Amino acid sequence: MTRPTPDPEEAQAAIEYCYAQGWSDGLPLVPASQPLIERFLATTSKDPAEIIGELEQVGRNCTVYLAAVNAAMAGCLPEYFPVVLAAFDALMHERAARGGGWQSTSGPAPMIVVNGPVRHELGFNTHGGAFGPGFRPNATIPRAIGLIIRNAFGIRPHVLEQATQGLPGRWSICLAENEEESPWPPFAEDGGQPAGASAVSATLLRTCEFVDNRHTQDPEHVLNDIADTISRTGSLIFRDTSAGVVFCPEHAQTLATAGLTKQDVQAWLIEHCGRTGADLRRAGKNGLRGIARFADADTSADDTFTRILPSPRHVPIVVAGARNAAISMVVRIFGEWSGTATEVTK
Amino acid sequence: MPYPILDPTGTTTTATRPRPPRAPRRRDLRGATVGLLVNTKQNAAPFLDELGRLLVAEHGATATMARTKVNFAAPAPGELIKEMTTSCDVIITGIGDCGSCSASAVADGIAFEAAGLPAAAICSDAFRVTADAMAEIRGVPGYRYATTPHPVAVLNPDQVKQRAAQVLDDVMNLLTEPE
Repeated sequence: MTRPTPDPEEAQAAIEYCYAQGWSDGLPLVPASQPLIERFLATTSKDPAEIIGELEQVGRNCTVYLAAVNAAMAGCLPEYFPVVLAAFDALMHERAARGGGWQSTSGPAPMIVVNGPVRHELGFNTHGGAFGPGFRPNATIPRAIGLIIRNAFGIRPHVLEQATQGLPGRWSICLAENEEESPWPPFAEDGGQPAGASAVSATLLRTCEFVDNRHTQDPEHVLNDIADTISRTGSLIFRDTSAGVVFCPEHAQTLATAGLTKQDVQAWLIEHCGRTGADLRRAGKNGLRGIARFADADTSADDTFTRILPSPRHVPIVVAGARNAAISMVVRIFGEWSGTATEVTK
Repeated sequence: MPYPILDPTGTTTTATRPRPPRAPRRRDLRGATVGLLVNTKQNAAPFLDELGRLLVAEHGATATMARTKVNFAAPAPGELIKEMTTSCDVIITGIGDCGSCSASAVADGIAFEAAGLPAAAICSDAFRVTADAMAEIRGVPGYRYATTPHPVAVLNPDQVKQRAAQVLDDVMNLLTEPE
């Protein structure tokens, strides 16, 4: 005996009800019911009333229960919930995410990176099309974060959220690292997790910029091309900046074959990313007032090369995507990454 | 029996904040020390400095005391509010010129009022909606603040002085007019 097909008229009415309450990010939501939320809450030992994040200036917080409701509405399956909780915890380690980041004119996007066995257990996409779309856990987990910010924290576009243009993919970036084809240790180890752990890291991005360099075997060609993208003046607003690289497997393997570790690549980029004083002056960004860049008529530093990446933590390195082309992504970090990863716990 | 659709906001259980008090108004600024709470946004310091200078030169204030808010995105810390409340008679806070800092400038104005000091928050006019939203969150819907046209960050020193002069009357009214 097959179950009757659900009544689409009822389903549509429930979806429209959610729109009418102002809960949606623009796309249809899954209406959440008590039995569904109980299945989410059953995946964690956390108390539903536990507060897992707070935005003091707007007087709002998020509990485990509210996170479950928003995750369900985002389209997550109950078994994704421990990853949602780990992603939110990782994000709450970011200064910008605890402060004014969600209200910012730059409209930053969370970037979530998943490592370990949980990637395969839950069916994450770990290779081609890493930035999406097409795969339920990769698509719905960052959307759950977006709904938490909108509904639990109350940060809504045009009101407390003041993004000038925002950026494409604001609530849709969740990479499962391609550990199988990466020559380097998993990203979660850089965040302090043991080898083999299922763990989530997160930071805020201002944009993603591709570097397509597929006709060379010389690691310096690849690194110089990436350094040029990292060093563009348009992204510089402060003395220092932070930019990660999501290497495709081919670029990562080219570098590793040449003997470069992740730390070597970070050190190379720290050394080579920057601009001359003249370049900065032409863009009106050569002066410093505190840590902010501004236009200064002084030409005396025109020939000085200014480095912009202060430490390896400001150049996080992830490996993601397919092995079918040499295309990597520079990810422009809003503020700076905390350098921590959160274990996925049941 | 159908199930209700669950609310993802959690706001139904949150009690509304009581409206915080507004400080008693002075008749004028003669003899007053004007506190300038600078939020580090580009041109905030010269803008508030010039306003302070004008209040001394034209309205009888005797001194200004400038303090800088380290984190422009967040409301001022309690110790800073306490220090300025102890040393000043009125407060000017700004410039609200970004998503979080305009909301915070208004939150600071409301906090100083509750601490007993008349305050004038200044925001760029591009951020009215977010400033109003913060006022509502802080229990003061309709909170009045001064605005200056956007943009502020690109102005040269002379233009900043003109802007300060243009907003002077509004600031005086905010600090001295009964509600």
